[in-house]
This record gives sequence, C-alpha cells and structure tokens, in this order.
Amino acid sequence: MIYDEPRFLPGGDTFVLVQFGDDARIDLNFMALGLTAALREDRTKGVIDTNPSYNSVVVEYDPDLIGADDLERELRRLIDGLGSVEDLELESRLAYLPVMYNDPWTRACVEDYAQRIAPRDGDPEFVARINGLEDKAQLSRVHSGTEHWVVAVCSTPGLPLMVALDPRCAITSPKYNPPRTWTTLGAIGVGGLSTSIYTTPGPGGYNLIGRTPVPLWDTQASLPAYRDRVVLLDAADRVKFVPVEQDEFAYIERRVAEGTYAFNVTGYQRFSVRQYKAWTASLDTSERF
Amino acid sequence: MAVTVIKGGLETTVQDYPGRKGAFGMGFPPSGPIDHWSFRLANVLVGNAPGAAALECTFIGPVLRFERDAVIALTGADMKATLDGEPAPLWESIAINAGQTLALGSAITGARTYIAFAGGIDVAPFLGSRATFVIGACGGLDGAALKEGQTIPLASSDAAPGRRLKEGARPPAPAGGVWEIEVVAGPNDDWIDEAGQRRFLETDWRLSPKSNRVGFRLDGPDWTFTAKATDKAPENGEHPSNVIDHGYPIGAINLCGQTPIILMVDTLTLGGFINPYTVPTCAWWKLGQSRPNETYRFRQVSVAEAQAERRRIAALCTEESLVPDASP
Repeated sequence: MIYDEPRFLPGGDTFVLVQFGDDARIDLNFMALGLTAALREDRTKGVIDTNPSYNSVVVEYDPDLIGADDLERELRRLIDGLGSVEDLELESRLAYLPVMYNDPWTRACVEDYAQRIAPRDGDPEFVARINGLEDKAQLSRVHSGTEHWVVAVCSTPGLPLMVALDPRCAITSPKYNPPRTWTTLGAIGVGGLSTSIYTTPGPGGYNLIGRTPVPLWDTQASLPAYRDRVVLLDAADRVKFVPVEQDEFAYIERRVAEGTYAFNVTGYQRFSVRQYKAWTASLDTSERF
Repeated sequence: MAVTVIKGGLETTVQDYPGRKGAFGMGFPPSGPIDHWSFRLANVLVGNAPGAAALECTFIGPVLRFERDAVIALTGADMKATLDGEPAPLWESIAINAGQTLALGSAITGARTYIAFAGGIDVAPFLGSRATFVIGACGGLDGAALKEGQTIPLASSDAAPGRRLKEGARPPAPAGGVWEIEVVAGPNDDWIDEAGQRRFLETDWRLSPKSNRVGFRLDGPDWTFTAKATDKAPENGEHPSNVIDHGYPIGAINLCGQTPIILMVDTLTLGGFINPYTVPTCAWWKLGQSRPNETYRFRQVSVAEAQAERRRIAALCTEESLVPDASP
C-alpha cells in the first residue's frame, strides 16, 4: 500500500528512514527518488546524505546542525512540494550494457553452488519455467526487451538494483536459500522483481542468467567513462541490455582491459511519471515477447 | 620517506573521521574508525584536527620504522607498544627520532589501537576521504590494509611531546568483558513482538568471532515477531526478517534470519532484512574495543539522549581535554 502520510522512523542518532509505503510498486520508488532530488536541490541544512530504495529513503543528518523534529518538518515540506506522483519528472539517462545470456561463467558458478551447497538446476532454465516462458531463449528475449529502471545504486560500489519498466517483461523469481558464497563478477542476477549486476565477487542470492563484460565502477579512472565519475549509474537512470555472443563478449573484454572501451550512455532526459503511466495503462500485459 | 612498514599487523588501515560521507548513492559506506572517540583523542594529542587521517590497528598492531623525526600518540587498546624495545605510553604524545622502531603486539585489553601522527597521514583523498574501504579497494594506502615494505607518507607539523589528557576525557576502561551498549528503537522495532523486544533487552548477547568492520555478529536467543513480519506483501520475502530492500542506517542491528548483525562502518549500504534497533554513534567506541565472546547488554535510550551523549563525547575530543602545558 501507499501510506496516506509518509512515516519517519529513527535509525539511531544520525539517520531517519522515510517510508512511503510497504510494497514494491514503482510509484513508491518514484516518490523516494523525487525526495532525494528535492533534498539535493534544497541543500537542506544538516542533511548529509540520502540512501533511496524501493519504497523508502534513509536520510543521514548531522544532529548538531538540525534536530530530529526540525528535520522531519523540512522533509514533510519537501514531500508536500513534490505534489502527486504523476507530477514527478525525474532526470534520467539511458545506458546500453552488453550482456551474454546463458554464459559459461555464471553457469560454472551455479554448478559450484549445486555441488557444494544445495542441488540446483541451471538458473536460466529455472527462471524461464517459473515465469511460464517457453525456454531460456525467450527469457533472454523478454529480459532484453525492456528498459530497466535503476531503483537504487547500493549495497556494494556501483551495484544497480533495477526493475523492468515494461510490465510485459517483468520477471519474478525466489532468491537462493541459503545464499551463494561467491558470485561471478559482472553476473546479471534476477531475484524478487529485480535485476542486479554483481560489481564485486561476493555472496549473493539472485538467480544468474547472464554476464556483462563491462565494469560498473572504477576507482582508477582506467576507462574514459570514469574520468569524472566513479560509478556508471545513478538511481533514476535506465539500462537496456544488448545481447552479445561469446566472440563479442571477448572483444569488449579486451577493449576494457586496454582502457579503450566506450560506454553508450545518453545525456539526461526527463522521465515523466504521468506519460509512463499512460503508456503502461495502454498495454495488453498478457503479451510476452 | 616517512614511516616504513616492517610488519602490517593483523589489519591496520588508514582511517579518517567521519569518513567518506555523501557516497551512499554510489554504494559506498562511510568507513572511518569504529572507536572514533579514541581515534579523535589520538589526533588531539598530536595537535591535529580531530578527524585527521591516522591508523586503526586491529587485535595485533604493526611494526613501524621512522625514517624521520615525528610526534605520535597511541590511544585505545593496549598492544604493549615499544619504542626501540622500551615501553611506549598510551594516551600521550611521544617524540620519535629518525631511525627508531615502534612495535605493537597483541591487544591485552580492548581490540583497536589508534596511532596518530602529528600533521596526519598524507595520502590522496578519494571521494573526499582518506578512509580505507577494503571492499571498494579505495582510500588509505592502495585501498587495503598495511603491508610489509610500504611507506606511510606524513604531512609535516611541529607538535610537542608529553601532552596528556585530563581525567575523564578518555573512554572508560572495559569492565570485565561485559558491555552496556546504548540502542535506539527503530526503524523496524514494530516487526518484533513485545516478548521479543523484552528478550532483546534482557539477554546477555555474545559477540561472535565472525565480526569485523562490515558487521558485528551476535549469538543469542531466537526472535519472535508481530503480524507485520508474517502478514506482508509477497515481494518482502518469505522469512519474517525479510523486507523489501531498503537502505541501512550505519549501526543498525540487522536481523538476518535469526542472527542479529550490527552493521558497522564498512557495511553493505542496503539489503532485504529488517533493522529493529540501531546502535547510536555515541556507543560505537564500545563495539570498537570489544573482543570476541565478550557480552553485550543493550540499554534503550531515546534519540535525544543518544544525541546528547554524542555531543558530550565530541566536546571531549578537543584541545580543551589536554592538561595545560606546565612549561613556560
């Protein structure tokens, strides 16, 4: 549900969690990102940082500069100023990311899990089956047939949490239980309603359906895209996956290693929630691709 | 040349306070020292700004050879530091001559020792901070813990040795392996039922050896939940402790299944588990100095009380805490 009034929940002496609702409908993320943008614009005294997600924003503040009550009042003022969710227009870029679906590396990672931790079939086959798709080829078609909305960049450096903008391409799947102990770097994972890209080789719970050869963060500025930024994506950007085969994957990997790979990312466009909702309302969501 | 690392110790990192702020949106936690009270006092003793870059040593400290004269201060855990074999005191500024070797051993009380150098450690800041974040391979010296053979570059300064702290300025010594830790309820305390909340506050929790700068894992009884945890939209996940991914406050007591983990300065910044309570910043020094298998008892305080204690500690981390110079 969407709460009538946002909730303000303390997280110790320097954080407050602002919650707009209690499920994963995308309107709640639009509100969270709207508040994040408004705080950036407003330069509210005492606000240090924001950490938005599906239905909430964690706001970090300096209690020497603003009290909890004053902060809540300022946040309410900014939220009131956003108007209705349909009125929101968010600054958004579109990034095209190469992906090899059904790649050998994530398959090896899943097989390692199956041998050491718990029996398991191939993840793409599993995800296709429980989503009523014909096969893993259709899964690749559906997954690459939409722009994915970056809900948050979080958890580990540069890691995007994304949801499909086209409801005809939505995929849902349960996460691993117990989780994996390691994950292929660059793995494309799906879990719950989300898609993510593993930016460190750490543990994880999403089903692995492919791999990208490009890094989503870089502290050494080794690629041109990272001369003036550390992570490729921001919340409210969009990602379109471009399927590649193994030879193209290897070529891109070489370009990355040489430091010459050029990302294809558009400039900022305005994402209108009103227009997005009008479009999705017009779709026959029983269709797949 | 400034200081050469002869031995790195178990995990010795460059940190600054308050660390890397404003980078949640890129997936970077703040890093920085866990016991930021002792950390700031080490800097104050050598005349630095309280947040200047200094070393955090964990359980076993480093061995360092000074290639130039320097003034340093050691605070926090007692690692039986020696300077060319002679005992080196904690909690005061010390002059070191070029060629001398500072050797720290294993912590006999507490867990983390801080070493501040007059002038501070002169490494390049990354996203506005010199704090080391190992998972992100950034900050500090090559984004990692100190290794044998590395050089720690120091900025220059003319601090005085022999500076000491007034009574009461430094954190109290740990008492008998039992720590009383302040907590603030929330953000998700309403997912835990009354019996569960009472049990949390009445339990002697044991600090697991599987604890580090990412999180402090606690062993204790199972948790019990309210309807909110069981009767929820399916996208929240199956287990009562699952919630739709949300941002994590640093210090949050994150309930991962039945295991509470206090999220610390190098934490994942977001995830799908609830945070029923949060350890406020004023109590982090206790986490930083506690040892595996020691006991935590949590005491609930209000946000305002936690903020007042934070201010009290900050006021102690200034030159006001120094014993006035007796010399003319």
